[in-house]
Amino acid sequence: MAITELPDLINKGLQQAVELMAVAAYNSYRFNDHNTVKIITIGKEEMETIAEYCFSLGDMSPLAARDGRFLVQLIKEPCSLMIIGDKRKSPFNYDCGACGYRTCKEMNKAEKVESLTANGPSCQFKNLNLNIAANSAASLAHRLGLHCRVFSTLAFAAMSLEIIKEVDLVTSVSVSASKKNPYFDRHEYWTKEHWNETFNKEFPTFNRGFIGAVEE
Amino acid sequence: MERSLKQFEADRLDAARVAAKLILASGTTSPRVGGVGECTIHTFEDSCDIEDICQEMERMADLKENWSFFKRDAAILRDADILMIATSLRCVADPADINCNMCGKLVCEYLKEEEKLPPENDIAFRGPLCIFRANNIAYAIDGMISQARNLGIDYGVYWSSGAAAMRMRLLPKNTGFALGLGLSVTEKSPFRDIPLDYADINQRTMNDRIIQRLWPQFRSIYS
Repeated sequence: MAITELPDLINKGLQQAVELMAVAAYNSYRFNDHNTVKIITIGKEEMETIAEYCFSLGDMSPLAARDGRFLVQLIKEPCSLMIIGDKRKSPFNYDCGACGYRTCKEMNKAEKVESLTANGPSCQFKNLNLNIAANSAASLAHRLGLHCRVFSTLAFAAMSLEIIKEVDLVTSVSVSASKKNPYFDRHEYWTKEHWNETFNKEFPTFNRGFIGAVEE
Repeated sequence: MERSLKQFEADRLDAARVAAKLILASGTTSPRVGGVGECTIHTFEDSCDIEDICQEMERMADLKENWSFFKRDAAILRDADILMIATSLRCVADPADINCNMCGKLVCEYLKEEEKLPPENDIAFRGPLCIFRANNIAYAIDGMISQARNLGIDYGVYWSSGAAAMRMRLLPKNTGFALGLGLSVTEKSPFRDIPLDYADINQRTMNDRIIQRLWPQFRSIYS
């Protein structure tokens, strides 16, 4: 009789779940049936690199630092990160104006502006297709009983680090099979002292007795 | 029509209305980037309201060659039981301030300074919009699609109806981007298997040309 232990079951199940998420994302609703999204999943080694990179952006982006710090904790238990990307130009010919150009042709001809997070200008409908794919993956993860959260920061880092290549726009879906949901109510980080110090620094007026009174 | 068939027709429409409420719930609770409230979802149940939007779509179709498919969309949506429209409210005046550069302006301050496209007839959405914010509508729409699929409700997504409803000022005043979702509780989905020239050749026009127009002549001749 073959016996499979729980850690193996979890890891294999997670792998299969991520594959099914990729299928759901790939088959999700698309405007004009333009199925051009690129989907990859990455392992813990790449996630560690992303975590370090995000954490290093602390001064520039507290949000990225938070997610980097979080990722270090996340990879201690079974997890995976799906990164979904696409090119920025419009194949739609809708001429809708959302991008700020009157026609898709004008937008496609406009100078490409590169940055660490995304390359613009980009087509709104390309972005919608990309994020609908992300939501489909997240929706399936939810139904499969995985912990799940969509992250822009981790995807931006993956693009900067060229973990996902030849894309201009990215988003990511992180899933975990940890003992408790690691994505929300992340209280472990907030010790009482750290909370008090940060809160008083960021929101000094909250505990002030009188509007305008400043205690030196 | 016999009583039981009328009852079925009323129940079918009731089912569509109940489904629309659950679909609204799913679209509302789907993820939002930044977790900030940004999208609203509006339900048009009255066939006259849907017809008004369809007529606006047809007017828009005449404004621009690229929008000629709006007429096809209008012909499809006339067969929808319910039209839902999801909006993005922060993409015009409240950029996400995360300097993502999806709009191509590098930082949000530059996007705020950028002049919007003028309110002219051939412009559907007055960009440049904050794409990071407007992306939330993708999550809302897919949340709605996901629920419609769970419930076995036929659906179709039409940006033309969102643009028309915006133009008709049926949506909140800060709406910068809107998408429509048609719903139908019928045995054959009105959103699939759309033949070419559907704006001109559809069930309504077929019925009109082949039955309604010829029937009086048939009666006259064969009576």
